[in-house]
This record gives sequence, structure tokens and C-alpha cells, in this order.
Amino acid sequence: MKTAVFWGCRILTGQFAYEMSVREVLPKLGIKLVDLRESMCCGDPIKSVNDFTANYLGARILALANLTSLDNLLVPCNRCHFTISEAKNLISTSAKAGQKIKDLLKEEGLEYNLNIKIWHTIDLLHDLVGLERIKKAVAKPLKGLKVATHIGCQIIRYSDLGRVDDAENPRKLDELIGALGAETVEYVEKLDCCGSALMYSHPDSALSLTGSKLKAVQNLAVDGLVVSCPDCQLMFDVKQKDAGTTVGAKLNVPVVYYTQLLGLALGIDERKLGLHLNQSPVDQVIARISA
Amino acid sequence: MLREGSELSLVDLMSMAKPNLESREKILAKLRGRELVNCFQCIKCTSGCTALKLLELKPHEIIKLVNLGFVDELPSSDIIWTCVTCLKCVQRCPQKASPYHVIMALRNLAVEREAKVPEGYLKAVSQILETGLAETAQKVVTRKMETVDRECLKLPKIISPKVGFQAVFMKTMEEK
Repeated sequence: MKTAVFWGCRILTGQFAYEMSVREVLPKLGIKLVDLRESMCCGDPIKSVNDFTANYLGARILALANLTSLDNLLVPCNRCHFTISEAKNLISTSAKAGQKIKDLLKEEGLEYNLNIKIWHTIDLLHDLVGLERIKKAVAKPLKGLKVATHIGCQIIRYSDLGRVDDAENPRKLDELIGALGAETVEYVEKLDCCGSALMYSHPDSALSLTGSKLKAVQNLAVDGLVVSCPDCQLMFDVKQKDAGTTVGAKLNVPVVYYTQLLGLALGIDERKLGLHLNQSPVDQVIARISA
Repeated sequence: MLREGSELSLVDLMSMAKPNLESREKILAKLRGRELVNCFQCIKCTSGCTALKLLELKPHEIIKLVNLGFVDELPSSDIIWTCVTCLKCVQRCPQKASPYHVIMALRNLAVEREAKVPEGYLKAVSQILETGLAETAQKVVTRKMETVDRECLKLPKIISPKVGFQAVFMKTMEEK
């Protein structure tokens, strides 16, 4: 099956490991990715500046996806997934705003298509590919590996918008990890936010949120933390040292994308999955899996 | 750039404030029918708010202030920039008053009124206008300290939007 893919700024400009691992694992599970014509912003940071512009940018992604003539659009970033979903919701529910956006898109020779289904990596793998197919594809079961999950805020809330998983008890990421033979733990801080959205205005508070959650994960004595959002990965992985300083803790938590973990279980070379790019101590996870 | 801990508190800004029903209407229009007037101060939003402990954001207070017409003070307050956008308040509000959306509307109003806005947001606007992306592509360093970019990782090139995008983007920014 072919699906269009929209990466968004965070992945394209720095979170390369997510892009590399998604590009590696999906074709092995029967999903061929088709990139959009342009590399664009989804509108997320503009929500704070001008809501209409943000929705225009979100609708514009649906219009770019429409050029591929495909029915499905994969949006691996949580924030982009939310922004595009809200834009889609606005044009479906407000005739006035919808018409304005339609007219402006026309000036660019574009047209959105509300029938395109928006997927995130998590529901694409869980609902479309399916746990059984993933289980069958596993070459190296991750037996004995125990991890904590962090699904991220914006793909699970708010339910009225239609989200990827349950808002208060998300299970899909845990089940996807289970399909690889690994185990996940429940913990009180599971739904706590990474804090990334505060980096523009209150960076110390942002890092404090990141640090508090990592500290909680470290205390679980698990093998690592698994995420599915480039903003969360940036905070928990790249900024882990700064976050530790902020909360006064020496942090040493391996943080990986689910698609990296999946790639390892499928037997894909770690460099192809961008595992050399993670800044947190992921070598200990790789060593456990290869052993 | 806003500095932490250097702002007037909301209560300081509110002393002797008078309600302005016109500004209230402005926020309601931006909310496109979200039912903020039905808030009965159950405080579910505030009790689950990610920014409560560190930055003292109390979403139920913001809803109450907007409902009473005390809107003009909020765009000048740092408090509207403390929301982490975790969306728990939208999820849990029994009346669909949606504090997150109210805070976003207040941020938009702050921009319109040229109040203090964290620099990063305005920079994102100019970046998108210039390149289509809100951020610039970086070189990243591996754990073994090699510097790599998209090209050496064999990732496809970043492609700018077609001509015509900028003009339409500017037009959308005129919408209030």
C-alpha cells in the first residue's frame, strides 16, 4: 500500500533518526511512502500568532497530499498531526472559514480533499499494519527488554477531534512494543508532558518538566524510554543533560523512537535507523538486543 | 524575550481593571462558538494543568476573567505564555469551555495589540515566509562526535514552496 507522508519542520531540520527509521521500517511492512511536493510547516507555531494562518497552513498540507492522489497521509509528528487535524476539523465544520481557505488555496492552484485520512506512526502501525503482521516480521524478538512509554500529548487529546489513542489510558504504543517481545511498565507519570512547547517562552520550566519525567523513568529501573514524537525526543534525548541539571539529577536514560526499536527487532542495521544520532546512552539497549 | 519571574502578576494587572465587553466579544468570535460561558468553575482544568505547579497557570481563572469581560489585561500578562499545550484541559472540561483555545485566542490578541510576545513565535513567522519551514536545517552531532547533515545521511533534499506561497501567506496573516 502507498501512503503520502508529511514530515514537518522538527523532523526535517534535526530529528533525522525518526525520518530514517520510518523510511526503513514501513516498506518492510508493506507501506510505501510518497513524499509531498514541498517541505512545509504545518502551522503549529503560528497557532499562537494567528489562528487563521495556522489553519491555512494545515489545510495546505491536505492540499499538497491531494496532489499525490493517495487516500492516506502519514504525519509522524504529534504536533503536526494535531495541527492538521484541527485544520481539517475547522474546514469541515465552519462553512465560512472553509470557503475562505478554499479560495486562498485556489490562488496557489491547490485544493484540499477532506477524504484523505490522517495517520500517525502509532495508529498506522497498530491499526493498519496490525500487531499480527508486525509479530510475524520480527527477526530478533526483544525478549527480556523492559521499557517505559511516552505517547506524547497531542496525538491523544482532545478526543472530540478524533485522536490516535485513548486520552486517559493510551495502550497502542505499549501493545506495539509487546508485539516485538518486549515488556512495558505502567507508571504514575506516564501521561506527564515533556514540556517542549515552553521552550520559546520559559525554557527553564520546559527543562524542569522534562527532567522530572526522566527522573521518574530512571527510578523505574527500566531499560529505556520509548517515544513517538520528535518534540518529545528532542527534550528527553537531546536535552537530557540540561534537563538533569535543571532538576538536580544525574540522568542516564536511553531514549529511542518506537520505529528505531521496531527496526532493531526487524533486524535492520542500527546506523540505518539513525541510532548513532541519539544523544542518550542507547548503546546499552542495542547491546542487550544484539546479545 | 520574556524573562521568567520578571513579570507583573495577573492580580497586579487586574487591580482597578474594568470589564470591556467589546474585547470579550472579540475573544468569543475567535472561539467560533466554543461554549465558554457555561464554565461553572469546577476547576478540573486547573487541577490537571501541567503549568500549574511551575508557572502558576490557573486556566479556570482565565475563563472566569474572560467571561466577566476582563480581557484587556490578559494579553499583556506573561501568564498566557505559560501554557504547555498538553490539551488536558480541553479533554477534561465537562462544559467544553476549552481553556487551551481561550489561551490561544488571547495570544492572538496579544499579537494584534503588539503586546510582548516571545520572540520565537515571531521568528517562526518570518522563517516560514522565507523558507516554508519554521526552523533551519541543522547539522547534528552523533554520539561519537561526527557532524552529519541530511545529505550524508542520504535523506532527500528539503524543497521550498512554489512561488505564490508567500503572497497568500501574507494575506492569511491579515485575517483577524
